[in-house]
Amino acid sequence: MRILLFLVPLAGCGAGGAMRQATIVGQCAADDAACSRRHPMAPLAIGTRFHPDISTEIAGTTTPTLILDSADPHVLAIEDGALLAKHPGASAVMISTDNGSVIDFIHVWVAPITKITFARRDGDRIESAIGLTVGEDVTLVPTLWNGAQRLAGSSDATWTVDAEGALAVLRDGSADRRRLRARAPGKATVTVALGDAKASFDVEVVP
Amino acid sequence: MKAALLALLAILALAGCLPTLAAQSAAPPSRSARLDSIDGFWGPKGYRLELSQGVAIALTCNRGGPCTKLRVTADDPSIAEVRQASLSRLEVVGLHGNQQQASALVVIGKAPGSTKIRVRTGDVGQDIHVTIVAPPITNPQTAVTR
Repeated sequence: MRILLFLVPLAGCGAGGAMRQATIVGQCAADDAACSRRHPMAPLAIGTRFHPDISTEIAGTTTPTLILDSADPHVLAIEDGALLAKHPGASAVMISTDNGSVIDFIHVWVAPITKITFARRDGDRIESAIGLTVGEDVTLVPTLWNGAQRLAGSSDATWTVDAEGALAVLRDGSADRRRLRARAPGKATVTVALGDAKASFDVEVVP
Repeated sequence: MKAALLALLAILALAGCLPTLAAQSAAPPSRSARLDSIDGFWGPKGYRLELSQGVAIALTCNRGGPCTKLRVTADDPSIAEVRQASLSRLEVVGLHGNQQQASALVVIGKAPGSTKIRVRTGDVGQDIHVTIVAPPITNPQTAVTR
């Protein structure tokens, strides 16, 4: 019973508005455990985008047509319905109806990236070098951190590989994920950079 | 009986007085969103609001029930912006148990400075003396990992 009571608050994983009328969550595929947009409670990493899914909980009505805007566009801008993290700080994201009446607002924090780690799509963190056989591939997602705090937001980071003969880095349609395909036996180092932060890992391709 | 009489007197007094405002949301950590009343003999004669840049606060307006025909304006919207809000909550009006939707507004801190927000309901109103304060300086951090 105690465990059940503990789990109840976890079920509502979205961020609730200050007026307790709207909830914001990230847009992620149901089976994408590593999706960085799943963490709307976390600060957004500078240079990343967060695609929000907003719903309201107002008795007697479904969610009306809503418009987002930022209290401080210098910190956090709204572009095509996505939140764009620009500078460290906090900004209220105003959630309004199309006639300008505020339904709710939520303060969103923006933080710089101090560390990048990598995870597979199932969320398993990459801790050491990766071994692949020729023709095999693996999909990786960069995870962004500020100290011990995981950051949210999807990044369009730069992926580079020092031995393109051994390994190909392919886009898979998302902004942050990449598919690594082993081409030929050899060793390669993959480096991912976003802003001033960068990280790398080694890949060994065997026949 | 005495309590009911006091409540009746309070409602009658409020009905002829200036509207009152109440904060309905809290500030985020390390930021400011504080509403203080400037008290006069008959009740609040104005309000002071300290708000951080980039922070919003929700307020409700009450005058013996939710304020009617609420009009809100900011003298300098580049410092503090004010918008009407839709708060889906019913509040008691009068003595007969009727309820009406809360009358709400939201103030947004846009840039450091001072300005005044005018809240009007019918032919009376309150002024909010707003001070927007700059957020604390955040140290930019960068790191390289391998």
